[in-house]
Amino acid sequence: MIELLIEEASRRADAADVVMKTDETLTVAFDSGRLKSTSSAQECGFNLRVLHGGRLGFAGSTGQDPTALLDAAFASARLGPQVAIKLPAPAPLPAVRTHSPRAATLTAVDLIQLGRGMVDRLSIDGVKVNLVVERSIGSVRLANSRGVEGSYDVSTVSLSAELVQVRGDSVLITGDYVAATDSPTLAEMETMVERLLQRITWARRDAAPPKSGNLPVCFTPAGSAVLLLPLQQACSGKAVLQGISPLADQVNTPRFSSSFTLVDDPLADGRSGSRPMDDEGVPSRRLSLIEQGVVRNFIYDLETAARAGAQSTGHGRRSIFAKPQPAYSNLVVEPGHHTLKELLALIEDGLLVDDLLGVGQGNVIGGAFSQPVGLAYRVEKGEIVGRVKDAAVAGNAYELLGRVAGLGDQAQWIGSMAVPPLVIEGVAVVGA
Amino acid sequence: MPDLPHLPMPESDLRNSLQDAIRGSRADFTEIRLERVWSSAVAYRGSNLEGATTSLDAGGFVRCLNRGYGWGAASFTGLDRLPAMVTRAHELSLASLRDTPLQLAPVPIRIDEVRLDLDGDVRGVALADKQALLERLNDEMLAADRRVTDTQAAYHDEVTEYWFACSDGSMIYQLRPHVTLSAVAVAREDGAVERGLESIGLRRGWHSVQNQEELFRNAAKRAVGLLTAPRVKGGTYPVVLDPRLAGVFVHEALGHLCEADFVAENPEAQAMMTIGRRFGPDFLTVGDDGSAAGLRGTLPYDDEGTPTQNTLLVQNGVLVGRLHSRETAARLGEAPTGNARALSFRHPPLVRLTNTYVANGRGTLDELLRDIKLGVYACDALGGQTLLEDFSFTSGYGYMIRDGRLAELVKPVVLAGNLFSTLDRIDRIAGDFRWNQMGGGCGKGGQVPLPVSEGAPHIRLRDTLVGGEIE
Repeated sequence: MIELLIEEASRRADAADVVMKTDETLTVAFDSGRLKSTSSAQECGFNLRVLHGGRLGFAGSTGQDPTALLDAAFASARLGPQVAIKLPAPAPLPAVRTHSPRAATLTAVDLIQLGRGMVDRLSIDGVKVNLVVERSIGSVRLANSRGVEGSYDVSTVSLSAELVQVRGDSVLITGDYVAATDSPTLAEMETMVERLLQRITWARRDAAPPKSGNLPVCFTPAGSAVLLLPLQQACSGKAVLQGISPLADQVNTPRFSSSFTLVDDPLADGRSGSRPMDDEGVPSRRLSLIEQGVVRNFIYDLETAARAGAQSTGHGRRSIFAKPQPAYSNLVVEPGHHTLKELLALIEDGLLVDDLLGVGQGNVIGGAFSQPVGLAYRVEKGEIVGRVKDAAVAGNAYELLGRVAGLGDQAQWIGSMAVPPLVIEGVAVVGA
Repeated sequence: MPDLPHLPMPESDLRNSLQDAIRGSRADFTEIRLERVWSSAVAYRGSNLEGATTSLDAGGFVRCLNRGYGWGAASFTGLDRLPAMVTRAHELSLASLRDTPLQLAPVPIRIDEVRLDLDGDVRGVALADKQALLERLNDEMLAADRRVTDTQAAYHDEVTEYWFACSDGSMIYQLRPHVTLSAVAVAREDGAVERGLESIGLRRGWHSVQNQEELFRNAAKRAVGLLTAPRVKGGTYPVVLDPRLAGVFVHEALGHLCEADFVAENPEAQAMMTIGRRFGPDFLTVGDDGSAAGLRGTLPYDDEGTPTQNTLLVQNGVLVGRLHSRETAARLGEAPTGNARALSFRHPPLVRLTNTYVANGRGTLDELLRDIKLGVYACDALGGQTLLEDFSFTSGYGYMIRDGRLAELVKPVVLAGNLFSTLDRIDRIAGDFRWNQMGGGCGKGGQVPLPVSEGAPHIRLRDTLVGGEIE
């Protein structure tokens, strides 16, 4: 169908491109340690874009009717925005591992076995384990009117675990997630188990919140979302174009601590955001966003770049039903030199923050935040003394990333992000 | 000419293939959902049209259950592979050996067809008319103030044809519309960036999104107003929640805890949430009503074919009920409540909220404010999140309360809640109940945004933690 679509669209339009995405996902779910369900999901869809009469139109469908999809795309172009985008010409694609043939051979029985192994490792008294093991295999195919014909296979094996502990009226919920193109290694699974059980152990005792004040705080990779989300939004070419990115006029300006480097890396082997080209057929390349504290680049897709007078950086992503938008592939914060113990040793009195509540629900790009803690620990003289509730953490992400006191020596992959733990000085902590 | 949808497969053909597939299944229990969704969307960003398009999506979900085994499920796009998918789901169930049986509580067998009022069938409205409507609304935001530098305006509609059948004998058809309008205005001045958000989401059609200029103007005014608004200083304050935020508060504080899947397999959680336990003051009554007329979380049946209903959760400060799927109901020996909901044919049903409410109390907002010397009036909701004991709820804006009156506008506050201590701090509930009609939705288990609604009167809380800067 993709050949037919591009042939017909190219004949009628000035330019056209089409993406076909297929996916087959096998999922096993354990509820409170017991196998609950095994599911398969099959998905196939097309997203067609046409440039017709100087206007852009697009349409998506999971149906198999090429005429209906063509008609919808041209109807969209009759109303669409006037933007002169130039589709890429055929070009060699970089090599990157996006799938593992072994993942495709995994059966429900294999996934169940993998899941049972994790449940056994995580089963401790009074803690319920919810676990999902998922294997997906699929393909991305793209064709455009300039002769680009690209395709690559993808596979993902993911493990997501959630521990629930209810003690009297106290509830602790903590989760962890790993995903890559192949099954996690035994070592990776052990590390995940350690991370999860460590959080339960640290929470055995309750600790009073520190006296309200500006304190050093260690953010775990999961806890650092509150700092990184504003940067993700601010480094999008779309936000820059719309004039709402606080970083727009700060390219090549030192803005953050010199130990802080943020890179988008589609060419990292075997990660869930890895890809040889983006969803517009632009070859992938590594892109520095923040280099040693200096703002370097923003991400662009074709349309945003055309509007902004910039070049696509190869960051167009499109789902079946939406047009391309700038989106990150694998977002990597470069690690530093401290072990977790050394990071905590930087804290005389403060917090280790693993989960904040309500992150992403306010004015994210503004950078200012104030969130109650979901899971956090009191740190005294470099030691974790217990779980803290009834406290909130506040600050401005752009300012706080200029006060990085130390970064962990190991970045943890959470889906398509790799982040080390980091210690920030002078974070406002408010206790009840 | 209107953009006509493709010719649907005749309904009788689909019904027959559904029945054949159920009959042909070798599983002890089989359940099938099929959906065909016609939708259109228009979006503006700043003064630029992002796009306007129509989409077709179709697919199904099959679940099978066998004695001694867990669920097997298969979801798929396209509607032509039903028998193969039933076989697949059956085989996957047989791959899922269990030591304890999964059981389903009985529900009445229903043969029904429900066609909700399409209220101006969106499929018959030209895409150009939808674009013109949104352009006008977007212009309201851009013209409101020179400091509005960016906007996001979105229109989305859909009409879903939905079939449900299970081997108990139920066969349900629903035709249901859905329409949303959303406005984001971004104002910028001297390096400060603020947003104003408004939205409506309705199970209705084209007629209900007319004359919404005020909504978009409000978003713009809010963004501009917040530019110069101060931040609340961190600390604890008496807080008055407006009905929108009070609704989100109860959704997060109690609603999610009453979803029985949390307690079904967890004796410690059951002990914490024992029916008869006190939650909040004796003037607090909370429920969830999937059958309430005209709301976003309302549907005649849930995705297991159970009729929706009004379920009391807390009555006069005492826990009296919880929300069930057929599976959690059987597990706890209670009755299904019609709360098994799936985001689409791509997902299994989970125990979910519908329209969650706090019942009316007495008095007015002025009476709630009157004896507060220094406090916060928190308005509108940007969201909320819960870890069941601790939760957050985020306002869209607020006002300081000084000497019993509303004073200056303040930036949005994120409020911290704790199931036990915060509910006990409710000291007044006003008598001005209203349902909200916001867009957006609720997320759980990767299924987001599920259309829900909340309703409440003004609620006052003592000593509530508001995070913020410290001197």
